[in-house]
Amino acid sequence: MKKLSLLSLCLALMLVLSNCSKDNTEPIDTIYPEINTATSDAFPKQCSVVKRGEKFIFKALLSDNVQLGSLNLDIHHNFDHHTHSTELEECNLAQVKQPVKPFLLIKNITIPSGQKTYQASAEIQIPADIDPGDYHFMIRLTDKEGWQTIKGLSIKIE
Amino acid sequence: MKSFYVLLFPLLLIFQTGFGQAKNSLPDSTLKTTPPPSTHQLKEVVIKDKRLQLRQKEESLNVITIGSDFIQRNLSGSLMKTLERLPGIKTIGIGSGQSKPLIRGLGFNRVVVIDKGVKHEGQQWGADHGLEIDQFAAAEVELIKGAASFIYGSDAIGGVIDVKPANAPQKNTLGGSIDLIGKSNNNLYGSSVNVFGRKEDWFFDSRITYQNYGDYSVPTDTVFVYDYAVRLHNRNLRNTAGQETGLHLNTGYVKEGFRSVFYLSNIYSKSGFFANAHGLEPRRVNTEMHDASARDVQMPNQQVNHFKLINRSNYQAKGHKLEMELGYQRNFRQEFSQYVNHGYMPPVYPDYLSISPELEREFDKRVYSMNLRDMINVGNHQLTTGFNSEYQDNAINGWTFLVPSFKQASAGVFVYDKYKINEQVLLHGALRYDYGQIRMFKYTDWFDSELTAGETIISEKLIRANDLNRSFNSLVWSAGINYNVHNFLLKANIGKSFRMPIAKELGANGVNYHYFSYEKGDATLSPEQSYQLDLSLGWNEDRWSVLISPFYNYFPNYIYLNPTANHDFYYGAGNQIFQYAQSKVLRYGGEFQLKYKVTENLSTELLGEYLFAKQVSGDKKGYTLPFSPPASALANLTWSPESESFFKHSYFSIDYRITAKQNNIVPPEKKTPGYGLINIQAGIKFGLCRQQLTLSLQAQNLLNTKYLNHTSFYRLIELPEAGRNIIMSLKVPFNIPLNKQKKEINNELSNKYN
Repeated sequence: MKKLSLLSLCLALMLVLSNCSKDNTEPIDTIYPEINTATSDAFPKQCSVVKRGEKFIFKALLSDNVQLGSLNLDIHHNFDHHTHSTELEECNLAQVKQPVKPFLLIKNITIPSGQKTYQASAEIQIPADIDPGDYHFMIRLTDKEGWQTIKGLSIKIE
Repeated sequence: MKSFYVLLFPLLLIFQTGFGQAKNSLPDSTLKTTPPPSTHQLKEVVIKDKRLQLRQKEESLNVITIGSDFIQRNLSGSLMKTLERLPGIKTIGIGSGQSKPLIRGLGFNRVVVIDKGVKHEGQQWGADHGLEIDQFAAAEVELIKGAASFIYGSDAIGGVIDVKPANAPQKNTLGGSIDLIGKSNNNLYGSSVNVFGRKEDWFFDSRITYQNYGDYSVPTDTVFVYDYAVRLHNRNLRNTAGQETGLHLNTGYVKEGFRSVFYLSNIYSKSGFFANAHGLEPRRVNTEMHDASARDVQMPNQQVNHFKLINRSNYQAKGHKLEMELGYQRNFRQEFSQYVNHGYMPPVYPDYLSISPELEREFDKRVYSMNLRDMINVGNHQLTTGFNSEYQDNAINGWTFLVPSFKQASAGVFVYDKYKINEQVLLHGALRYDYGQIRMFKYTDWFDSELTAGETIISEKLIRANDLNRSFNSLVWSAGINYNVHNFLLKANIGKSFRMPIAKELGANGVNYHYFSYEKGDATLSPEQSYQLDLSLGWNEDRWSVLISPFYNYFPNYIYLNPTANHDFYYGAGNQIFQYAQSKVLRYGGEFQLKYKVTENLSTELLGEYLFAKQVSGDKKGYTLPFSPPASALANLTWSPESESFFKHSYFSIDYRITAKQNNIVPPEKKTPGYGLINIQAGIKFGLCRQQLTLSLQAQNLLNTKYLNHTSFYRLIELPEAGRNIIMSLKVPFNIPLNKQKKEINNELSNKYN
């Protein structure tokens, strides 16, 4: 009998332990932000071509279910075909070549705080003296919670 | 085909040696731990069982002990993977078998691995390589689930895995064993050869292990690394092959009241990383080169060498039992990968640098350890006082940077009292004080980065880490009770544990090439503290037993890698910044174990585990902790025939493990669906040339189920776990009788068989 009461006491203790922290807070956010480059005015798109010595306007529609975080653009060469895009469509790549003065851009675009959707737009100047060829245009978007979506586009600089 | 011959060759060798000495060898080969006549063997086993039962009853922490039998039966890619069958134990693996342990969801530097009495120090923080431990050399493994800092010092927050070597051989013996192993999934073949001997007081015990494996196969043709579809050749995971060697030599002097043993070992491994998922982004690779052979290791790959020299001595006199361990370890790890410039690195690797363009990373760690303990019995008190100290020197190399070089020293003293009130109640109390110091060294980039200062753009080499000197101290305690009446067992323990922040948490500032993230340390972190309450309730009957072990755990300042909303736009090439931070964390869960003997030959087992973790403050308030294992249960049915039949010591066992889905995630994790797996184990012991051979067979993931493991290193890139794997292992013991012994044994043999 003594054993039994001891056992039940312990079970009761366990029950208390397992219940004591179930405060009901709002559900956590597990949804990734979205980068939309499908709209008609979005640029660049997969396989877009831009020119040296000229400017182009980057445009994409960003959205998140709670709040957008930060946006980063990165252009780096793909002369060695080492990387690939996240898009299904394949672009024609030029021959593999050694970089001499490849274009490099790492640019942060500020998203005003508290936004669920944002039309991002930024002017990008391509210097005239850089290597032409295949490049990658990486768009990295986070939301406030730290979920990140990456879009990798293949572009050409002529 | 080649592997077949490699397997065959040692087999031939064994049988030859076996036949050669058939006349004189012993009927039972378990001589190492038991005296020759097999009637004694049974007795020994019983004693061992009692010892474990006693340990279970006298230890207020949750302890599981497993022997080499368990390892042989469930042999997996690594010791940690083998232990995964136990409730509450999981691993973070990289597929090919190498893995890091997770005890109740805590891993890396929150689990202490003790090897031959000394804390194993490698690069514990990394998920991409295994523990440098040879599972063939492990005779017994003791697992402590729960806070054990009071005896093991910093890091023992989640638990302890104590790997014990084989006991010293019996007097006047010379013998050994040959293990052969083959695995179908990654075409692994391997062998471990052990030779031991002892005259009177001196003994030696040596072992050589070699394993070689190819790319492992997964039940899918295409893997999606983020959104990029990677086609797999023959369903093999490109470039995940590898090799491992282990060399061991133990020698020492054993006498009543005094023993001193030296353990020398060197573990080396070379293994490849999945080629499409290493670097700053998913990569297109030269598939022709990689797919030409499933056994070659191309870049990216890693090589790890772990050297150890340990001395363990103990001395008993006047009621005191003095123990000492002295250790030297060197862990040397290199990661090789083709140079890929990122951020402002020059597009072509400059030839003026002295570092090889293929050496991505190098960590060189030297560790000196010393432990002292004194045990004394005073009345009903068993008092243990002890001292642990460790000094580490860590150097780095390679063209990338993640963690600065550092030196670290720590020391701790403890006192632990076990007080036996009566036959039923044991009380435990412990107190410990630790002091530690870490000195990190400045690191400057070898290339210029572009910085904007106001309107102008300047180029300069960035300082990634500054000199830093920090010291920590901590006072921890533990209290526990054991209550044993008849068949009932109760254990309770409450304790405080701590962990010194590691160099990576304080000073990381670089890209993690596996997760495409930029990791940043925080030099101001305070030592992590943890309070844990452990409970175990058990009931043992002849035919059945049940054990329930819940726990409750609170961290006022858990250190975790927080994925922020920001990006690094220098060295990290725009990668997301993961910042080390501290938050309050609450965890609870438990394990359940039920054993029932249906008939004399048929037994069944039900194991279950559950874990809940939640951050209750900080940036990720409301989220769980990374790598939280989902709930799972394992049902087992084991058939072991009559001990009289030909099939004595044989078994056939089937495991069905069902794992729940894990929707409780934290960035950057993904929700993982649940799955069910069937594993089969079978084995037989049989006599051949008067040696008792053990043949074990396993089928892991019998149905070739395609599933994702939430705690896998490759989970983020949606990589399924290994498909069906048939594992076969054979243990062939041998004895070389010494002249003096021959006659005796022959007499015994003739007595026995007449």
